[in-house]
Amino acid sequence: MKILLNTIILIIYVNSFSQINETIYGSLESNSQFLQDDSNLGFNSPEDSFRSNNYFQLNYRSGNITAGIQYESYLPSALLGYSPNLNNNNKIASYYFNVKKGFSDITVGYFYEQFGNGLIFRAWENRQLGINNAIKGIKFKYKPNSNVKLTGIYGQQRNGFELSGSTIQAINADINLNEILNLSSIDLSIGSSLVSRYQDNSVSNDIPSSVKSISGRINLIAGNFTFDIEAVTKDSDILANEGELISNKLYDGTAIQIDLGYSIKGLGINSSLRRLENFNFYSNRLAEGNIYNQQSLSYTPALTKQQDYLLTNIYVYNSQPRLVINSLEKRSGEVGSQTDLYYSFKKETLFGKYKTKIAANFSYWAAIESNFYEDESYDVEFIGHGNRYFRDFNIEIKNRWNNKFNTAITIVDVIIDKGVALGGPLGVQGDINAKIGVIEGTYRYENGKSSRTVIQHLWTKEDKRNWAAFVHEYNFSSSFNLFIADGWNYGGEDKTHYYNFGGSYSKNSTRLSLNYGRQRGGLICVGGVCRFVPESNGFNLNLNYSF
Amino acid sequence: MKHFLLITILLASFNINSQNTFADVTLKTLNGNEITTKSLSSNDKIAVISLWATWCVPCIKELDAISEFYDEWRDEIDFKLYAISTDDSRTIKRVKAMVNGKGWEYEILLDTNQELQRSLGASTIPLTLIVKNNKIIYRHTGYSSGVEYELYDELKKLIK
Repeated sequence: MKILLNTIILIIYVNSFSQINETIYGSLESNSQFLQDDSNLGFNSPEDSFRSNNYFQLNYRSGNITAGIQYESYLPSALLGYSPNLNNNNKIASYYFNVKKGFSDITVGYFYEQFGNGLIFRAWENRQLGINNAIKGIKFKYKPNSNVKLTGIYGQQRNGFELSGSTIQAINADINLNEILNLSSIDLSIGSSLVSRYQDNSVSNDIPSSVKSISGRINLIAGNFTFDIEAVTKDSDILANEGELISNKLYDGTAIQIDLGYSIKGLGINSSLRRLENFNFYSNRLAEGNIYNQQSLSYTPALTKQQDYLLTNIYVYNSQPRLVINSLEKRSGEVGSQTDLYYSFKKETLFGKYKTKIAANFSYWAAIESNFYEDESYDVEFIGHGNRYFRDFNIEIKNRWNNKFNTAITIVDVIIDKGVALGGPLGVQGDINAKIGVIEGTYRYENGKSSRTVIQHLWTKEDKRNWAAFVHEYNFSSSFNLFIADGWNYGGEDKTHYYNFGGSYSKNSTRLSLNYGRQRGGLICVGGVCRFVPESNGFNLNLNYSF
Repeated sequence: MKHFLLITILLASFNINSQNTFADVTLKTLNGNEITTKSLSSNDKIAVISLWATWCVPCIKELDAISEFYDEWRDEIDFKLYAISTDDSRTIKRVKAMVNGKGWEYEILLDTNQELQRSLGASTIPLTLIVKNNKIIYRHTGYSSGVEYELYDELKKLIK
């Protein structure tokens, strides 16, 4: 660490006297909350009522060399709902040194990477979710020509400010076959990856020390059609759930995803089918199912429409790739599909005159039908008729009535298993059926001012029953806005208002936002990965600056 | 921590103009070909860069709004808009369907593991840039109705 930093400083120092074209860039992000007791919400502020996550990134580039550091601080504690191993820590959490020369691209230090669609391997950072599972080690990319790309990785995965106890080795190859096979009318590429984890098994010889997963994929574009398939198998491994070894019996895992798309100007359709059986891969075998999404190697997000409004975000799906065998529930994974449709009406038509654009999505996710036996073995169907976890149909209609006024109408009809939405065993607690309507209008005044209003309603007889919500935002200019919002659970026993108000100011590369109000407890989902946040009340301050 | 301070002090003593330099990363096209961000604005080409995602409502509003004027503006100013999707594998398959379904005529690029987004220090999207010869001339985060006119005014300044 010290040596690396000294080297970086030295290089910067030496280069500053030379004429090499060099750049320094980076960013600062600071997210803080000040919590307060709220008896109506039943929220008692924790001991550290002020909590703050801060990230400072600094990069230096000179010719083919790039180097950088990321400093992180979670003082005195991380924001509510983040992994507790971050609390009261501040350090240079990661650093890297990269050099590109000829066909090669080498990174030493901490790095991110994704193979294929990420099913087999994804090292990434998402600050909202508290995920940073970068690998510390060495990454070597080799691109001998424009058709072939090879990647090799060796290292350990980051876990908070520590490293996970295993060694990860991975290789990936992507090959574009167009030139090789002299294809002209279609576009074809293939790829394959291998990810292996070596973890000490001194506690028991029954536990495999080395577990690997292998994937293959094909991507095809033919005219207006696209077809992609990726399949992964994972070696047999013990069964662990949330830090505990459940069974020394070994279970293998599989994943398959197929995507089919068709699009022409004005119309786009895409369908995805995915089946995940016991498909979780972590850099620590005991990290399986941890609620903070730490130490994950595989990436299996929920494949559903990602919603953005207050009330459409209450009943969201979270993928269920786990094998679970206990007295409460037995399940082996999930299977399902989703289809998207996008359509813009032609200009000549009546709908086209008002620039009508439609986006519709249907998704259905269920358990893989499985039979479990007394010796903790099981049989599965490829799809079968397992318990339904989630079904969603939603449609969004956008109109531009004139150059000042736009509207968006969203209708959602969702069924979600209570276990998925609220916790507890899946498939035995019944469903929540909800219908949601959202109307949004945006009006642009003269001289850069505009306002946006959203009215929403959620109907359900289950859980906390009906909700109504309202958001109003006024933009004084492109850089300054204020908003007020309220989500009112008027059908629930407590008739709780989740009010919020605040504003943001942005200028060039600085953005500052401040808001005060109540946070609804539940899942915060970004990119299909969810983080649980408890209910709270207080101030939030976010600052971003990049240079 | 010591090093951190040292670096900061060291940096303060430099005269490196950083704010304006556009990142240099490799992105993919919808056909899986690779393209460097450097090439987008080389040789005096004007590139508008818009970081977006299929799940980002304000991003789509912005791109919808600009698409109303895209042809008209391009008759007047020689520029291209690169709509760079930060969608990850959860939603990446939607990109092509959505772009065509919306009838957008932008150049579409993919930043699947957010390498570009990270190097621009963009924690939130949409992020809109005007870039020429790898220098960032204009930068705006977020979208509110009417921001597209500000973009147009900035573009017009470049041809005067």
